[in-house]
Amino acid sequence: MLAPFVRGAPVEWLLDPGADPWRKTRPERLAMTGTPLVLQPTAAIRAAWTGQHIGAIDKVEIAALHNGDVLAFRLEWADGSENRDPGDTTAFSDAAAVLFPVVEGAPAISMGGPKLPVNAWYWRGDSDTQGRQVVAEGIGTSRTVDVSLVHAHGVWKDGRWRVVIARALRVQTSEPVVQLDTGKGAHFAVAVWEGGHRERGGIKAFSGAEWRSLSLAPVGGKA
Amino acid sequence: MSKRQLAMVFDLNKCLGCQTCTIACKRLWTREEGMEYMWWATVNTMPGRGTPRDWEQSGGGFRDGVAQAGRLPSNKDFGEAWEFNHEEVFFGGKGDSAYLKVKGEEPDWGPNWDEDQGAGEYPNSYYFYLPRICNHCTHPACLEACPRKAILKREEDGIVLIDEDRCRGYRFCMEACPYKKIYFNHVKKVSQKCIFCFPRIEQGVAPACARQCPGRVRFVGYKDDPDGPIWKLVEKWKVAIPLHPEFGTDPNVFYVPPLSPPRFDAEGNIDESKPRIPDEYLVSLFGPKVLESLAVLKAEMAKTRAGGKSELLDVLIAYQWKSMFGGFDKDPASIEWKKA
Repeated sequence: MLAPFVRGAPVEWLLDPGADPWRKTRPERLAMTGTPLVLQPTAAIRAAWTGQHIGAIDKVEIAALHNGDVLAFRLEWADGSENRDPGDTTAFSDAAAVLFPVVEGAPAISMGGPKLPVNAWYWRGDSDTQGRQVVAEGIGTSRTVDVSLVHAHGVWKDGRWRVVIARALRVQTSEPVVQLDTGKGAHFAVAVWEGGHRERGGIKAFSGAEWRSLSLAPVGGKA
Repeated sequence: MSKRQLAMVFDLNKCLGCQTCTIACKRLWTREEGMEYMWWATVNTMPGRGTPRDWEQSGGGFRDGVAQAGRLPSNKDFGEAWEFNHEEVFFGGKGDSAYLKVKGEEPDWGPNWDEDQGAGEYPNSYYFYLPRICNHCTHPACLEACPRKAILKREEDGIVLIDEDRCRGYRFCMEACPYKKIYFNHVKKVSQKCIFCFPRIEQGVAPACARQCPGRVRFVGYKDDPDGPIWKLVEKWKVAIPLHPEFGTDPNVFYVPPLSPPRFDAEGNIDESKPRIPDEYLVSLFGPKVLESLAVLKAEMAKTRAGGKSELLDVLIAYQWKSMFGGFDKDPASIEWKKA
């Protein structure tokens, strides 16, 4: 997938999933699959989800662009219910994330591994504009490293979510997060949680074990 | 496994259902926004459906050491923090015509909904009160269920705590706890529960629910302290037993089971052979050991009636109030408390 360069587009603008620059992108369709039951991190979760379908969202359309400083993804999927604030103890928020390997060889299916960190840019409907940057080194190890560097915004309309998740290409931090450059390639994966199906944590739909390829257009390059 | 374990014993023969423990806890810990419906300490009438509704049938815990699927209670199962029409009744000039009622939708459950209903047919009807807090289990289902390792069991005293910075509000703990003593904070979006008043414990003060109890029901202390009441009641006399031991979590709250008067037979005569509270019911709550516990209590009571002395009954009567707290008997008013 190509992330075209859009000159001078402020991040606030890109966070509008209907904004003009998104018309320059060609969304790709990703087939999503439920995370395997055996990879759920605790016995109680495996017991609760035995015989239940994991991964209610089976496809996501994804597009990406950058303005030279910030890389933004737009995820779009069909969802009959807008689950934002849980409200009830039995309800959960819809959520989405883009995952990157921080080092070569970090596996997507197991959320990285020891010394093989992966970095997620995360959005959740109950805290819409507050994105979250997460690092994991294997199943059950995810931790939030900041709630300030990832920008996000989701709009639900006519049975569809359109969610933009963005972050600066390079960020100052001692945490193992992905650092990106224009004119170069990157790898990513996608996850979506259907709150109406009680999906949260490792119970989610993801784009599979294979990383997807992304190429960031050079600054000044044509879309 | 923690090095030591703090525990409580609740003497059900003394609990009068006054809810002072419930309110002591509420005033101290769950007054913030998002915590309105929370009652970390509850007292329900048994037999009853309890709080949250039907918690005993909600799954979770372990069977033969294997984690079991659990159910999440809903807001309505807990009972929402209703608002009442106080304005209308007390200040609206309608004191003669309006009656006190819940504003909005009429609730069908609450945290003490089936109070004093109990079971059985007159003249053999019966009930007793069952106070509950988090059991600070030795094998905590909540801790093991959490995929984020956000729940910890303190090495020094076995208190089970949720790290709200790590918690993301997934509520796998709430599903897994078979006692349903974990609550979801709707504002902070994290799970919360009884903390055994650890800031008080660290200053030598007993938890608020225990210290405020006017009935001298709640004993506190380390399980392995031979001078404290817990060891005497749990280990030495074996009269205090856990609730639903079959849930497999090894709770550290223990109960002295309720004795009851004999039943009346069909002719209205006293039938000494059958207690008013059926043994089967108590066994369903506390397991078969409840019968041994009741036998010990009866034997000790007979002993004192015959003029003898009973260390067990002396402990249970708690002549010295402070003896109930296993050394955690400092007056909280004597301490300068600082908010973290």
